[in-house]
Amino acid sequence: MIIFDKVCKTFPLGNSALNDVSFTINDNEFVFLVGPSGAGKTSIIRMIIRDLAPTSGSIMIDDLEITKNNFNRIEILRRKIGIVFQDFKILPEKNIFENIALGLQIGGLSMKNIKKEVKEALELVNLSHKEKLFPVQLSAGELQRVAIARAVCGDRQIIIADEPTGNLDMKTTWEIIKIFKKIEGKRTVIIATHNADIVNSLKKRVLVLKAGRLVKDTQKGDYEL
Amino acid sequence: MKDIIISIRRAPYQSLATFSNLFFTLFLSLIILFSLTFIYGLLGYIESRPQVTVYFKADTAESAIFKMRDDLIASGKVSSAKYISKTDAFKIYKDLNKDNPLLLEMVSADILPPSLEIYAVQPSYLPQIAEFLKNKPGVDEVNFQRAIIERLINLTNIIRKSTLVFFAFLTFNAIITLLTIGHFKIALKKDEIELLRYLGASQWYIKKPFIGEAVFFALASTGLIYLIFLGIIFYLQPFISSYMNGVSGLGIDFRIFQLTVWPLNLAYLAGLYIITVLFGIVISVVATLFATQKYIK
Repeated sequence: MIIFDKVCKTFPLGNSALNDVSFTINDNEFVFLVGPSGAGKTSIIRMIIRDLAPTSGSIMIDDLEITKNNFNRIEILRRKIGIVFQDFKILPEKNIFENIALGLQIGGLSMKNIKKEVKEALELVNLSHKEKLFPVQLSAGELQRVAIARAVCGDRQIIIADEPTGNLDMKTTWEIIKIFKKIEGKRTVIIATHNADIVNSLKKRVLVLKAGRLVKDTQKGDYEL
Repeated sequence: MKDIIISIRRAPYQSLATFSNLFFTLFLSLIILFSLTFIYGLLGYIESRPQVTVYFKADTAESAIFKMRDDLIASGKVSSAKYISKTDAFKIYKDLNKDNPLLLEMVSADILPPSLEIYAVQPSYLPQIAEFLKNKPGVDEVNFQRAIIERLINLTNIIRKSTLVFFAFLTFNAIITLLTIGHFKIALKKDEIELLRYLGASQWYIKKPFIGEAVFFALASTGLIYLIFLGIIFYLQPFISSYMNGVSGLGIDFRIFQLTVWPLNLAYLAGLYIITVLFGIVISVVATLFATQKYIK
């Protein structure tokens, strides 16, 4: 469960990124985070992974209050979360298997278990036959699928995707969304996006941000640009 | 090991720079360490020779000499004092001149003076001991190696101090250079580090491969240095042996154990190797820790 309680973020120069934002995301919920550029979507994502601290308010992830000044369990928090970036963040000198295994190695899993987990993740994203290839040999859509496989691999209960389809064409975008649909109900999924077509067709919970404020929170919601 | 080799292949020039810097620093450190231990061994050897020899007039009673010896030992400045009687002196004389019958015929025990061979607790006590003996009745002559010992002590002090300064500079320079090279190497892995942090890697997990590489470079450079060092030492051994002719052995007393420096032995050479390896690992790892810490922050 993710709880934002009156979270504000003001940067040192005085510009405000978030203003009094409160919401709760339950376990295994599927949520879209939408809004124009600068609305605060990325700030929320960065706060969930504790890459950015709020100026005021509190954030709870499961039983961890991550906004405490003396919070020192960032690694434990981040091992609960799988992140999919718009620019994929796939390491070019590692092959697909090694890229996906990264998160599992950090968790200290045995090689036997790593192989098993990676195999399952590759099956989920339909890339089983490409585990030995290098990123340069894959298309953008395939790279994003690798990133999703890395995010869902292991025991990561919260999957956050920041504009996961921002660099992809429509056909590939839908392939990516289908993968997220496959994990729906098994993990908490938060997708930050501009893409109104995706949001409106899936009819999931939508949190709409505007100028750092949460202006709409609807179940089976839609989004207008 | 596989990761270290991949990392070296990915940044060959930085790796070469790291290796060269460590090689230069550790080679100089090994030479300094070897020279210092040898000089200290030599100082110990000279200090172990009779430091003050006092010759008495031939008619001086043995009881007076023994009293003087006891007074000296009671002063706390003398570690030992050995009495050489006329007969003992004659035996030594005969032994030294056994190949020269003419000299042996000319001398008898009667004309040789009795003497005391005195060893000071500290070399700095030597002038006081000599001064004390000069004014005593029955004393004919006082010889002590003041000039040699004082010069050696001064030289050792100068060498020790200048070596410490040079060594500190060398260490500082090595760490700064390794740190700078480390920054370059870490910058090459910027994306990987950023990703690892997002995936929940601990600081130690991120630092571990860099530290492994630092230890590898320290071990590799020390191994090569030591092979070269052994080559030089064994090449020079005949020259050193001829120079050290007559010196049975040099050692350094570390209170808990005695280290023999000369003749060269396995324990001494192993000690030099271990110290150099440890020093290499310490500077290499410290520089890496600074570089990674600064970057991760």
